[in-house]
Amino acid sequence: MPRIKKKGQAGAAKNYVTRNQAIRKLQITLPDFRKLCIWKGIYPREPRSKKKVSKSSTNSTTFYYAKDIQYLLHEPLLLKFRDQKSLEKKISKALGRGDVTDAARLESNAARPEKTGKPRYTLDHVIRERYPTFIDALRDLDDCLSMLFLFANLPSTSSVPAKMIARCERLTLEFQHYLIASHSLTKSFLSIKGIYYQANIKGEDVLWLVPYKFNQRIVGDIDFRIMGTFVEFYMTLLSFVNFRLYTSLGLKYPPKFDQLKDENAAELGAFTLEGMTLVNDEPQKQIEDHKPDPKVQAAVNKVLKQIDSKAANGDGAGDAVEVEGEESNDTIDKFEPAAPGGDILPQPSNLGGSQGSLFSNCTFYLSRETPRQPLEFILKAFGCKRVGWDAVLGDGAFTTNELDPAITHQIVDRPPVQNAVEAETEGDDNQTSQKLGANNRVPGRVYLQPQWVWDSVNDGELKEPHLYAPGTSLPPHLSPFVKAMPGAYDPTMPLEEQEPEREALEAEDDDEEVTAEGMDIAEDDDAEDDDAENDDFEGVSEDEEEEVDGSDDDAERQRELEAELAGSSVKSKSISKKAKAKEDKLKALSKKSREDAEELERAKGMLSKKKRKLYEQMIYTNTKKNAADEKLRAKRRRLEKEGKRAKA
Amino acid sequence: MAPPRLSKKRKDVAESDESDDGLAGTALEGVLSDDEDNDSGSESDPNSDDFNDPDDDDVGNDFDATSISSADDDESKPNYKVVKDANGNERYEYAEIDPVYDSDDSDANEKGNTIGNIPLSFYDSYPHIGYDINGKKIMRPATGDALDALLETIEIPKGWTGLTDPQTGKPLELTREQLELLRRLQTSQIPEENYDPYPDLIPYFTSIEEKMPLSSAPEPKRRFLPSKHEAKRVAKLVRAIKEGRILPYKPPEEREREKGEEEEVHYDIWANEEAQERHIMNIPAPKLAPPGYDLSYNPPPEYLPTQEEKEAWEKMDPEEREKEYLPAKFDALRKVPGYGEFVKERFERSLDLYLAPRVRKNRLNIDPNSLLPKLPSPEELKPFPTVCQAIFKGHEGRVRTVSFSPDGEWIASGGDDGTVRVWSLNGHQEWVARISTEEPVQVVRWRPNKDTFILAAVAGEDIFFAVPPLVSGALEKASRDVIDLGFGHATNGAVPTTADGAKKEPPAKWSRPGSKLEAAGVLLKATVRSAIKTLSWHRRGDFLCTVSPTGQRSSVAVHTLSKHLSQIPFRRLPGLAQAAHFHPSRPYFFVATQRMIRCYDLQRQELVKILQPGARWISGFDVHPGGDNLIVGSYDRRLLWHDLDLSTRPYKTMRFHTEAVRAVRYHRALPLFADASDDGSLQIFHGKVVSDLMENATIVPVKMLRGHKIVSKLGVLDVDWHPRHPWCISAGADGTCRLWA
Repeated sequence: MPRIKKKGQAGAAKNYVTRNQAIRKLQITLPDFRKLCIWKGIYPREPRSKKKVSKSSTNSTTFYYAKDIQYLLHEPLLLKFRDQKSLEKKISKALGRGDVTDAARLESNAARPEKTGKPRYTLDHVIRERYPTFIDALRDLDDCLSMLFLFANLPSTSSVPAKMIARCERLTLEFQHYLIASHSLTKSFLSIKGIYYQANIKGEDVLWLVPYKFNQRIVGDIDFRIMGTFVEFYMTLLSFVNFRLYTSLGLKYPPKFDQLKDENAAELGAFTLEGMTLVNDEPQKQIEDHKPDPKVQAAVNKVLKQIDSKAANGDGAGDAVEVEGEESNDTIDKFEPAAPGGDILPQPSNLGGSQGSLFSNCTFYLSRETPRQPLEFILKAFGCKRVGWDAVLGDGAFTTNELDPAITHQIVDRPPVQNAVEAETEGDDNQTSQKLGANNRVPGRVYLQPQWVWDSVNDGELKEPHLYAPGTSLPPHLSPFVKAMPGAYDPTMPLEEQEPEREALEAEDDDEEVTAEGMDIAEDDDAEDDDAENDDFEGVSEDEEEEVDGSDDDAERQRELEAELAGSSVKSKSISKKAKAKEDKLKALSKKSREDAEELERAKGMLSKKKRKLYEQMIYTNTKKNAADEKLRAKRRRLEKEGKRAKA
Repeated sequence: MAPPRLSKKRKDVAESDESDDGLAGTALEGVLSDDEDNDSGSESDPNSDDFNDPDDDDVGNDFDATSISSADDDESKPNYKVVKDANGNERYEYAEIDPVYDSDDSDANEKGNTIGNIPLSFYDSYPHIGYDINGKKIMRPATGDALDALLETIEIPKGWTGLTDPQTGKPLELTREQLELLRRLQTSQIPEENYDPYPDLIPYFTSIEEKMPLSSAPEPKRRFLPSKHEAKRVAKLVRAIKEGRILPYKPPEEREREKGEEEEVHYDIWANEEAQERHIMNIPAPKLAPPGYDLSYNPPPEYLPTQEEKEAWEKMDPEEREKEYLPAKFDALRKVPGYGEFVKERFERSLDLYLAPRVRKNRLNIDPNSLLPKLPSPEELKPFPTVCQAIFKGHEGRVRTVSFSPDGEWIASGGDDGTVRVWSLNGHQEWVARISTEEPVQVVRWRPNKDTFILAAVAGEDIFFAVPPLVSGALEKASRDVIDLGFGHATNGAVPTTADGAKKEPPAKWSRPGSKLEAAGVLLKATVRSAIKTLSWHRRGDFLCTVSPTGQRSSVAVHTLSKHLSQIPFRRLPGLAQAAHFHPSRPYFFVATQRMIRCYDLQRQELVKILQPGARWISGFDVHPGGDNLIVGSYDRRLLWHDLDLSTRPYKTMRFHTEAVRAVRYHRALPLFADASDDGSLQIFHGKVVSDLMENATIVPVKMLRGHKIVSKLGVLDVDWHPRHPWCISAGADGTCRLWA
């Protein structure tokens, strides 16, 4: 007889440990364990069967992989934690003795990152372990950037030391400088939460969120120790990533930092990039890891030449700088499937090339009320070299003189005042006055609202300026991150293209109801009655229906004809042919849907239980999605109708 | 003891000498002692005093002796006098205390003013300025007249200070020495004039080395060899300094500044990177979803919530909200406020990153319709019944059972009213017989042979065999013959006995049902022990089996019509029997209990197979005419198809009904089967069984027949197929039968 196996000795029970077991095994406190888990990227697991896994009768909530915990046992950071713990003990002992000087001496040895912002340990090895390759690190950069950008905008408190904030700010600014230098920012989006940015770094899409420059409201119980642990790790990560990115461009890291400028709120302007390749912008593109294929490179070169010549033209012409998007799309081939059935591969894109030089021959001036930091960053990232702003917005501007003749675009975000007539007369002698009046315009430049910058960037071309003139109501700002799904609602497309047939017909019905009131009421009622009859087809009037279904096609046709005849006899005078056709269509649709439903019912009964559950779940989510889409469509239809009526 | 005595004596002397002098005693004494010192220092014969001393002592001794004796005397007589006071009372008057040297009142001034610490001006209007120790008034000293005062102002007497001694009221005079002392004290110098605070050091030991050593011990080695221990310690310190463990002292704030300045090292951590295959169980953290259109600060207007949606969102608990934000529109970027939940969302994200268990979920990104099996269109599977052809009305209460006659011309039905009715296909009732008054008719089944016309009907415990007078005489005659054949056997048959010889009760009693029924055509009756629920004929028509679920041991009985014999094949059955059927071609017998169906070989008397449909409670089953398949209906709404060759578990499970399945039936000739359910519907299936063993049966639902009304939660109770045509008849709880074609 084989030996009886004990419970919890093999299998899943061995693979998992609860959190308390893990803590006991590692001999550390819960906060230390939390830190370790955050840094080492260890997360709880959900065992397939909790009952099999838990050794105790109480059901524990968190399980970790036993292997994960074993791997933590060899962590050098554990030793640091233990050292720290013994030091704390010594200090408390000294204080207990009343030996304050000794305690102070020990205290000066203690690593207190939450106070000094500088721990005694480094997380370098953890970074290397978690991200064996640079690409791995880039893949995980989303949360890192969002968190550091948030902390760069937080006020310093007792739990968030000022040094940590300063370091976050510096790292994020350095990262922004890389994006500017490498032109790798691709998209940006103004949301109600903050500003989303997306960059393509070495082929990896990185998306992060930057809050608007306001004092952050701290609501609920937010544990800044946890956030601080994350930030500590992310700071180390971003500094390494920055180093690698800078060196890949041939730049020196860290860039030169001007303390004085920083104190004057220069932000991006406080850094000066140094490196052998910074003198001319072009060669740095070749340094990037992946070589572009020669064909694309040739195209890019051509475009660049074009841009150069254009820029030269622009300089010659003086204030008349043409504002148009570069048309370089024709140089890239489009791969369209000749025959259906093949997989769809990602198309070669012309990012890098024209994207980075979208604003290259514009000079911007930011008015006092615009958000300077995001605008400066996004404009510079898309090739603008000259961004000026009002002196109150901080240091580092290309110019603080609003009347600089080099300015081609001015971003304003204030409503126009209603005395525009005087603006023209005053505009002539504005050379003498430094500041302009509230409503005065400098001739020869385009005044725009900030959204123009974002929409231009997302569409890859300079948008029509008159749509974004100050005081006009802006076109909707759409997220560039939404991928159009077949069947899903897309606000950019006209309504007619995306509504299903039935919905369209019903909508038209409604339309007519609106246009020809009174007359059509009888007809509508009739139609509804018909519908009702159709709906309770499985009800009392079973027999007739059955007959219909069972009979042949010609019988069906006969019946339809009859119905038609009857219908026409009732409302022969009022209803046009068109309406009749529509009604027929509706009827046909409802009949078809009914048949489909019956067919579906037949098929569903043959499914196994598992598949049936799956099917029902899928149908549930699909109908939910469809309902949301339908709601949006209905709202849009109503709005459009209202608009039309308002126009009429 | 000597000096105090001496001083005492001297005091006495002094007192005696200068008793009426106004000077203080202490000053006198100091002067005296000074004089003495001076005497001892200056006088030529200092020994005279020394010589005198012993004498003095002697004298003192004498004095002492006398004084002691006097003291002794004092003790004997009181030291007070008794006098009369003003009232005539006794008053003790003590002698004046002589404050000798060792009395407590050492520093009492005999002539001092006792007024204490009050200003002298209080006494300005009195002739006295206070009281002495004895309570005597101290009279104000006579002040000189104006001339004297003037004179005094002109020539300042020696030691004049201009102050008045509060003790005496006289002008205070201080000597030069006293003034000098005061000055030194005021300037915080040492009061004594000649005191030297820094005397020269007097060396007690000489610092000059002696030429000759005092000890002849040889010089120890440590005097001329450097210490190894010290060398070690120094080396340790040197090492520590070299390694930077010991740093030169710096003020703490400077050190702090330096620490802040020291930069973190920058290097390429991925200098020699090599891609590692991630562990298979590693699940990277999922990225946050990118923002949609509704998150825009200026979204398309259709994304904005209506007033009701906004209210609903606000009313909802923050935990339950589908989205944590409400879409909002701002007409300018400067109007966009800060997002209040930003820090909270970030915090929740970080909690998710380290606290949330990660599970890999396979999201099927497929069209749900691809899951559905491709069923052939019902058009291809025709013929099958689709419409209600005729409704048979006549029964009062539920119709419990229906059956097609073997030739397909007649339909028999039985119901709660205790009647058996036979109908022609056009819906006309041809024959009726009330076989029971209180029990409902549970089953009616035609004998499956075409050469007879025998109907078996069950009511309660009785089985009735009837020959409805509807057919030709020859056929009726043959039928009557078959029924009557067994009477001889019944009388001749040996009555079985039990082991102890007692007469055993037979499983059933066969008899005539009575003249009234016989006249109607009901010719034979068999009564079993308990109420019968189902009845089923063998294909040859000689045997029939009945099941009475409450009948314990005798729940299943097999009856032989030709011999009027009943047998109980099973000694005991596990569970309650529900239904039983004969195999259509082989000597097998199927019995359904609540959960299982058992298949017995009747010839070999053994259990062949146990089928487990998995249903909770089987309502009925039917065997395919081919004999290899079985359909089972269950009260838990399922219809199960069993392939006997394949497995003991069902081959297909079908759930089309919302209520219990009451009856199931195969068509005898066509690939059709039907079930009847309590939800008032019949489901017609196409079930094709091929003789090829490799191919499974194809089962396609083709039609749902609705029409029966649901009466007290019961819908369709029984169903039967026409022997040849694709027609079926159903018995409903609404008191009707319906023919579907």
